[in-house]
Amino acid sequence: MAPKKPPRSKKTTEPEEEVRVDALAPTLELAAQIHAQLTKGEVPRMRLPLRTKQNIQFQVKEGVWRLGRSTGTRSARKLDGALMLLRTFYLVDFIHEMARDRKTSTLRELYYISEQWKDAKFHSEDESNLLIEDLEVLCTRLREDFRLHPEENGASVIGDLTLEETNRKGVVKRFNCRDDVGDGGYALPFNVEKEKIRFRATGAKFVLAIECGGMVDRLAENGFDEEQNALLLHLKGQPARSTRRFLKRLNEELKLPVVVFTDGDPWSFRIFASVAYGAIKTAHISHYLATPGAEFLGVTASDIENYELPSDALTEQDTKALHAMQSDPRFGTAEWRSEIDLMLKNGKKAEQQSLAKYGLNYVTETYLPEKLAEMNVL
Amino acid sequence: MSLTGLRPAPVGRSGIVQIDGSNFLLIARRVPKTRSMARNATLAEQLASKQREISVAEFFERNRQILGFDNLQRALLTAVKECVDNALDACEEAGVLPDISVDIAKDDSGPDRYRLVVADNGPGILRRELPNVFGRLLYGSRFHANRQSRGQQGIGISAAVLYAGLTTARPAKITSKVEEEEAAHVLEILVDTQRNLPKVVSDELVLWDRLHGTQVELLLKARYVRARQSPLEYLRGTAIVNPHARLVLTEPDGTRITFERASTEVPPVSKEVLPHPYGLELGELSAILKQAREKRLSEALPKHLAGVTPRALKEILVQAGLSGRDDPARIHGTELEALLTALHAVSLLPPSAESLSPIGSILIKRGLRNVLGELRPDFYAPPVSRPPKIRAGAPFLVEVGLVYGGALPPDQPIQLLRFANRVPLLFQQGACAITSAVETVDWRRYGLDQRGGQGLPTGPCILLVHVASTRVPFTSESKEAVAEDSEIVKELQLALQAIARHLKSHISRQVRREFASEKFTIIRRILPQIAEKASHLTGKPVPDLTPVITEIMNVVTLETTLSEKEAAPGLTVTITNYTPRARVLELFAEMPPELTAALRPVPAPDGTDPALGRAWWTLPKLLPNGRTEIQLRWSKAQECDASDFDWYVAGVDESHLLGADALPGDWEVRLPRQVVEAVEAAEVAGVVQGGTGETEVDYDGAEKAAALEEDD
Repeated sequence: MAPKKPPRSKKTTEPEEEVRVDALAPTLELAAQIHAQLTKGEVPRMRLPLRTKQNIQFQVKEGVWRLGRSTGTRSARKLDGALMLLRTFYLVDFIHEMARDRKTSTLRELYYISEQWKDAKFHSEDESNLLIEDLEVLCTRLREDFRLHPEENGASVIGDLTLEETNRKGVVKRFNCRDDVGDGGYALPFNVEKEKIRFRATGAKFVLAIECGGMVDRLAENGFDEEQNALLLHLKGQPARSTRRFLKRLNEELKLPVVVFTDGDPWSFRIFASVAYGAIKTAHISHYLATPGAEFLGVTASDIENYELPSDALTEQDTKALHAMQSDPRFGTAEWRSEIDLMLKNGKKAEQQSLAKYGLNYVTETYLPEKLAEMNVL
Repeated sequence: MSLTGLRPAPVGRSGIVQIDGSNFLLIARRVPKTRSMARNATLAEQLASKQREISVAEFFERNRQILGFDNLQRALLTAVKECVDNALDACEEAGVLPDISVDIAKDDSGPDRYRLVVADNGPGILRRELPNVFGRLLYGSRFHANRQSRGQQGIGISAAVLYAGLTTARPAKITSKVEEEEAAHVLEILVDTQRNLPKVVSDELVLWDRLHGTQVELLLKARYVRARQSPLEYLRGTAIVNPHARLVLTEPDGTRITFERASTEVPPVSKEVLPHPYGLELGELSAILKQAREKRLSEALPKHLAGVTPRALKEILVQAGLSGRDDPARIHGTELEALLTALHAVSLLPPSAESLSPIGSILIKRGLRNVLGELRPDFYAPPVSRPPKIRAGAPFLVEVGLVYGGALPPDQPIQLLRFANRVPLLFQQGACAITSAVETVDWRRYGLDQRGGQGLPTGPCILLVHVASTRVPFTSESKEAVAEDSEIVKELQLALQAIARHLKSHISRQVRREFASEKFTIIRRILPQIAEKASHLTGKPVPDLTPVITEIMNVVTLETTLSEKEAAPGLTVTITNYTPRARVLELFAEMPPELTAALRPVPAPDGTDPALGRAWWTLPKLLPNGRTEIQLRWSKAQECDASDFDWYVAGVDESHLLGADALPGDWEVRLPRQVVEAVEAAEVAGVVQGGTGETEVDYDGAEKAAALEEDD
């Protein structure tokens, strides 16, 4: 089905386009499979690895958690299954159409495109995102191969890092993420691969990945990046794929240790897990997104006690999340268990910025140096 | 209710009126002593001088609530009710389809005054009877007739006249014409309460434009509301249980509401039967024997009492120690008591149910549909009519109807429509045996919500309960609630449970239908699109989907569609084999027996049983995804629809059947050879095929569960 490769000629955009077309071959195989089933009189079905916490396994070699072997079946016997199968083919058809027209689409645009799909239209963006991930798994491709990408999400970097970016117009720009950018830092594009971004030099000794923008601003204002040779990376909540991929490249290519600094609550623990171990929903590409060496700095449950931080009581949702984490294999280490137990026992959570209780300089002068020294980063 | 001890209505004399166990002594009132009394008179003499007769009419004048005239709103309803009940009874006795109009208008002659005019097309009343019927309490033709009728004691209509006279001092204006006479008599009548006698104020002859009928016009103090207990609701209820009647109500604001006739069958007139010994009391027995003209007890007993066979007679006489030759009129005292004991002890033929006039299941359904049709209920349960039973010597039977779903509110207590002898009961729901029977059924077992398994259940449901008897035991003379009677309650519970089972199977069928509708969506909408897309992407032709469709459905479906054509009403029954193998099926229809003769099915059935209302077909062999149709046509007059038929299919397992039920085991039908062989062949194939091992994890189900657990 895939067209034969035309002979390679000049170095234009052609070869890249060709790779993309190739990338679509597995999607047609899916259609062929279903067609064969229908012809044999079988109820159409697809087998997919389950993307649940029960089905992730630690890969010693890569140091990340990836999908296990349990599979589920998406069958046309059930209305949900039949609809997802139909959506899969509408999606495949759309991807091929984009490839023909040399277009790309944001995830959100895809969601709206599905308005034309009648019975198969998506009811929420979650539904379309999950289906794209399914297609990634089934075809062992990335969504970028399907010409689908997220919107820029605004995660940013501040610190002594010199890089080159090939911009939209194909012009290579070189700049330093401390000296050549504004107060907002360097905003990450959705594509952070080598063809787009190349690291050239850095004076940083480690990366500090931070959950909240307010804390990034505090550290920048206090000059923490220069003083401690830190590269500040704003995670912006649950980090996007590009953010995690960027962190992994910093860690692998520049050999910078990664330290994660978040709020002290179950959701922030999960942010760390997705950075260091791999998220469950993207466990099929953990080897590509996760940074196994990343370490959690805080705020920990014991920090709340030791630093006597202003705290809030855990909500019912928080408690439920902590209990769910107790059966999550990624949090199966002794350290995490005791951390979760302690948080449940104390029933308290605290924000990063609660450190301001002791003044604006406390975080940079006391808390971080103490914690980083403990972790042997400083 | 029973009013005993008063026979034949003693005009202006004292007597004992027994109303359900409570004795009302209709005698002198004791007047308090006054100072003017002669000191030397003995006390007894003093009292005796104050003893004075009061009439039945006077008694009720002071005890209005007993008859249902205790407040203005209720008085109007009671007056409407008495007039309409009378009109319906009269029409029925004459075999006429009732056409009754009720006009209620505000009258300006005083505050709270209303003019009520009720007209019927009944046989009319003879001039000489008119004063007594309307102006004298306890005068009527039905009290002594041992059969089911709406009114029984002859109190109702005259009580309405009495009430009107008491509140407005105006006479009732009665117009009545019998077919044999040229003109109608118009009489103005008041009740002389002192003497319980009618007082005719005016008497005229007028030409009337109808052949026969009666019109009652009353001016009374009242209040009109459109509430749950209103003339409108009463007429609505009446229309449900009297589908042969046409009722028109004109409200004070001019609004006209018509309940059209839903059936043109006049209910058969219930037969009058002899009183049965099992409910007989001493006084009644004594009166029967005294009035008997026969000179010998052996002749009198079988002549005046039901169920006394020659053999039973012998036993009775032996047990009572009496001789057949004894003179009935001379039996009294201990002899009388011995006779009664013997009559109760000896086993007799049960009382005849011919004196009852049940509505019948077809008419209950028709009546409900006619009046409640605008609520578009999903389900009219087959009504349950219990066989007649006996209590206190009187036959009775209970009937129950139920509608469910549609526009009925799902979160409210169910609506309970109570009826006694075809009369709606609107008051005292809480004190009624019907209510307590409904409340003691555990409706949760049948698919309705019910807090703690008792009380009125909640759900989109209307329940109709009818108690018919020659003597319905009411809690009071206003006849608004059936008295708690263990035998009636037991029958009610059995009937309610029977209809509740229909409800339960409807609800579970609905669940299956929802499941099936998911499958239909898959095979009719989604699957063809999957095939189309997969073919488009691969550039291959669209494959035949039959095997996949039958694999997904794996059921035989029966669907019925009602023809909308006015000229040729009918039903199309489509049977589709959505299973992966060929089927030879036997189809059975069950319908009201009178329908079997009137239907012209195409193709003609292979057999019928008109007495049981059954017809059956051996269907042509159906390949996978194959279908066949049966057309039923009927004449417009037949008035039937899809819900009159029950469908059963043999030749396929019940779990693979949708829209029809498996043939009940008790039908004892011998299936044709080809059907049996096909079933056997299928069983063998099933064993070979074995389980398909569909124990895989549903991927989308697992995703959803994980999302609920908030995995990241």
